[in-house]
Amino acid sequence: MSSFVSPRERHLKWRALDGLEAVLYVACGICIIAFSLSVLLDVVTREIGRPWLWLQQLTTGAFTYGVFVGMALAARRNEHMYLTEIVRAMEGGKRRAVEVMARLVVLAVAICIVVFGWQNFLLDMGSFRMPSLIPLGYYTIVVPISGGLIALFQIEQLVNGLRNGFADGDDHLVPEGAL
Amino acid sequence: MNNGAIILIMAVLFVGLGYLGVPVAFSIMAGVLVATALTKVSFASIVGQLFHGVDAEALLAVPFFLLVGELMTSAQVTFRMIALAQTLVGHLRGGLAQVVTVFSMFFAGISGSSTADVAVLARTIGPEMDREGYDRAFTAALIASASTIANLIPPSIMAVVYGATGNVSIGGLFLGGVVPGLLVGFGLMIYSFFFGPVGLAHRRATLCQFADAAKASALPLMIPIIIMGGILTGWFTPTEAGLMAVAYIVFVLIPLVNRRHIRNLARDFANAGLLYSIPMSAVAAASAFGWMLAYLRGPDVVAGWIADFAGPDPLVIMFLLVVLFVIVGDFIDAVPAIIIFMPIINALTDLGQINPVHMGVVIIVTLAFGLITPPYGLSLLMASKFVGVGFLPSVVRSLPLYVVFFATIAFCIFFPDVVLWLPKWLLPESVGCFKNPSGTGYICPSL
Repeated sequence: MSSFVSPRERHLKWRALDGLEAVLYVACGICIIAFSLSVLLDVVTREIGRPWLWLQQLTTGAFTYGVFVGMALAARRNEHMYLTEIVRAMEGGKRRAVEVMARLVVLAVAICIVVFGWQNFLLDMGSFRMPSLIPLGYYTIVVPISGGLIALFQIEQLVNGLRNGFADGDDHLVPEGAL
Repeated sequence: MNNGAIILIMAVLFVGLGYLGVPVAFSIMAGVLVATALTKVSFASIVGQLFHGVDAEALLAVPFFLLVGELMTSAQVTFRMIALAQTLVGHLRGGLAQVVTVFSMFFAGISGSSTADVAVLARTIGPEMDREGYDRAFTAALIASASTIANLIPPSIMAVVYGATGNVSIGGLFLGGVVPGLLVGFGLMIYSFFFGPVGLAHRRATLCQFADAAKASALPLMIPIIIMGGILTGWFTPTEAGLMAVAYIVFVLIPLVNRRHIRNLARDFANAGLLYSIPMSAVAAASAFGWMLAYLRGPDVVAGWIADFAGPDPLVIMFLLVVLFVIVGDFIDAVPAIIIFMPIINALTDLGQINPVHMGVVIIVTLAFGLITPPYGLSLLMASKFVGVGFLPSVVRSLPLYVVFFATIAFCIFFPDVVLWLPKWLLPESVGCFKNPSGTGYICPSL
């Protein structure tokens, strides 16, 4: 399982949440495999003249789940896109203040995503996707879940960063997977 | 508070927080949420936009093209293409610099990601260039510049996002990007030949060596044929073509050329799953930003300013948009930029009666150029880091290479056929042509 957990910025992580990171990493893989297979089956069933229309809903569902699960995972691994490396050049109190501010902003956004995403979910349980009549809420529930996970990871990083310091030799900018 | 002030607050928060270390997706959302508090829009509908922004079938192509790059790199198939590039141009003046560009053109036909290209080149040819005495700043500048070709030659992730959000033919954008991509590539080769470091002299490869390299690369080089062939024949949508390329790599290429890699496939998929979610998070947030911008009638205002200045003249409109996107591309990533500014682009495309594929390719070339301009030139940042040189020296060494991009953009603006002749020839409907009622050929609008 440890190979599913990024070793970067270890000092900002609780070991207790490593299992969750591993689950999210595996879930990312499952989502992309699910929609790959779903698109493949969609092509095959269409070519043989017996299209399964509901496959397209499975495809978009797996895709959007993958986006929001990955969004939460990237928040724990600190692999989101950043505009600059200005913060990395800072040291001491200034660095700490900026790092804390950045995480508080993400935390605030994540809390909004949880609260208003949940409201949307409740509303969306009354809307249905054609032709399968699956409630839209089954798709949109992933939004507040992702927001909750992001909030959790921000709290984790805030607590550990204030305790251990934020500075580390890691690279903010380049997603590990891209290398 | 008036709309202009709210837009200003939203934009300042996005850029300001972004530069203070808040991830792009969250700095965009922070700006949008504050703007929401200042309007009558409900927070729930804005958060709902996050979901609806990525709930688009055309965007499904993005993970497949990223997955193709991930699989090719991870399975180390790319070495074969580097070897082929070496046999083709390795003997020229500045041989390794030529190899970088030619490989980038090959790789661009396989992956839509510049970052994957930078990672491959900086780790393989980068150290070789160092040993041959190329200065590191030039190496980083050239690798970053060449990697931008991945966004021009199909499959291109920027083209997928542009087509999906702007309702423009993705196939047309793919084909329209081919000639500008080749122009950038040949421009970089010409620069390296005449003005770049000399490097060590290499012997010209024999016909046998070339044949061996071509044979070894034949399987990977089938991928562009599968992708574009599938789209052009109408068998596949771009999404399905991406999937077919993935299936080809998983079921044919890897078992034949690197069987031991099969056990790593699950990890490649998981990595790609994480990789695609990162730009898609920005897409989700940018679509909320774009929605709020449209609600506040921002596109109408900006389009109005440009229209006042340019009138309906398509050349001036395109020139002003290029200037706008050169500035925008200096500060924000291409994907959110496309989504945020799409309403403005659409309004001006209509005003100037510009072909949407032509406009799209010009914008994509401009945003690809943004990958090597400071302060936010992602490809150049990555290349400098991998090659082990400071960002500033790399920027300085990039400056002469900017000429190649300016020339390509100018060609695309002033000679629309540079962009449109290939789509007109191979996919006429994508550029607004329709079948001649008399039954022979197509009738195309004047372009």
